Amino acid sequence: MKLCDICGKKEATLVVRQLDKDGKATDLNVCAECAKKRGLTGVEESLPESGAVITELKAKVDESDAKVVCTRCGMSFAEFKRVGKLGCADCYQAFAEKLRPIIRRLHGSVQHIGKTANQGRKRAQERLEIQRLRAELEKAIKQEDYEKAAALRDLLKRREDETGS
Amino acid sequence: MKLAPEKIGAWLSGSGPDSDVVISTRVRFARNLVDVPFVVRMKQFEQELVLETVRWALADTGYLKQGQFFEEEMLVEPDGMYFVERHLASPDLITCKNRKGLFVSEDETVSLMVNEEDHIRFQVLASGFDFATAFGKAAELDEKLEGQLAYAFSPEFGFLTACPTNVGTALRVSVFLHLPGLVLTREIEKVLRGAYALGLLVRGVYGEGSETRGNLFQVSNRQTLGQSEAEIVEVVSGVCRQIIDYEHKARQFLMHNLRVEVEDKVFRSLGLLRGARIISMEEATNLLATVRFGVALGIINELKLAEVSQLLILIRPANLQVILGEKLTGAEQEERRATFIREKLVR
Repeated sequence: MKLCDICGKKEATLVVRQLDKDGKATDLNVCAECAKKRGLTGVEESLPESGAVITELKAKVDESDAKVVCTRCGMSFAEFKRVGKLGCADCYQAFAEKLRPIIRRLHGSVQHIGKTANQGRKRAQERLEIQRLRAELEKAIKQEDYEKAAALRDLLKRREDETGS
Repeated sequence: MKLAPEKIGAWLSGSGPDSDVVISTRVRFARNLVDVPFVVRMKQFEQELVLETVRWALADTGYLKQGQFFEEEMLVEPDGMYFVERHLASPDLITCKNRKGLFVSEDETVSLMVNEEDHIRFQVLASGFDFATAFGKAAELDEKLEGQLAYAFSPEFGFLTACPTNVGTALRVSVFLHLPGLVLTREIEKVLRGAYALGLLVRGVYGEGSETRGNLFQVSNRQTLGQSEAEIVEVVSGVCRQIIDYEHKARQFLMHNLRVEVEDKVFRSLGLLRGARIISMEEATNLLATVRFGVALGIINELKLAEVSQLLILIRPANLQVILGEKLTGAEQEERRATFIREKLVR
């Protein structure tokens, strides 16, 4: 049993590492009471019983899930987890990061294959074209073909403005 | 608004391929409109808007005049269960409190639910093992409706649905199988586990949870994203083809080695149905399914497959009450059900 370096009477329950101005570290064994007196607080509160740690961690996750909100319908990811249903089409975009692992678990994939919707098909084609133009632009810059790069940049800008992406 | 309870769906005609084993094939798509929130977030006026928009699209594509569009008062408990028992609507459509609608084609092969879990869910049923018909008709309806409606879609996630379990193709295909041969030879567990391992969902058609009545099973795809519509159909169809072959082999084995025992079971069931004065739905379902088995094996020649398959639906509570035109208590139902079956089985 190590005794407290400050009072020398009680059992030291934590180690406080102090850095002097040269960056040299000194370790100090301190009991709970002295730690409190010296204002070394927050240590005890941050490490409660393990059951409580889980509850707290879960609350933190829930809190972060509650902050991920779909701006169109107002549904939070926490609410989705509770009801199991999404609020609108935009939720898929708003929760994309959190939904991908769920969708992968359910379907073994996160990329749709098969029929595309009419308006979806148009958008997918536009996106592909923009990606293709960006690749071409990079290639032109690498090859120092600045005239071509300038033309591609103008075209790309026009396409991006059209599609709002 | 009229119901024709005794005239039951063409999908139960007992005429499709492999109809000795397969009762029906079903193809279902879910779709949502892009401009309206999903059902859990819809306001009343939005529910009405979707209902009207879909009805209008059905009229414009020529479907509406080939059937009936049911609303509110027809779609609540207990009477709404009439459609659930006939496999035309889900229990959720009847129990939910949304402004809802149900389109049913005259021959009951096409039905479309509005404002259930998704804005639109439509299905096509075909008699027997017949994906060509069921998928062909469903894809055609999908194309036509899409000409009228703008659907929620993302290039990454596909057709967007209220629940991520349906996202992607939003396609669910199912085959309703009658597998008494595999149950009697105790091979069923093996077969069903195999289907599950291949990514399919297997459950009893009647009864809650894993309880299966009448040896009737439903096999469908679990996953809806990452495979094309054609691939999904191919996998379910391929696995079911194999199950049908196993069932045929089991039936051959039984007829070869245990013919008298099978005949005994079949004729006892027919005898009970012809003699009973009080019968529960569970007992009637089990006995009728055994009789269906006898007809499929050629042991019973005086009845047709379609007659027996249809009876399996007509004896269910809501249908029985609509047919008889009376509200009946549980005990009254059991008595009238027995009479109804006796009359139908007289030769």
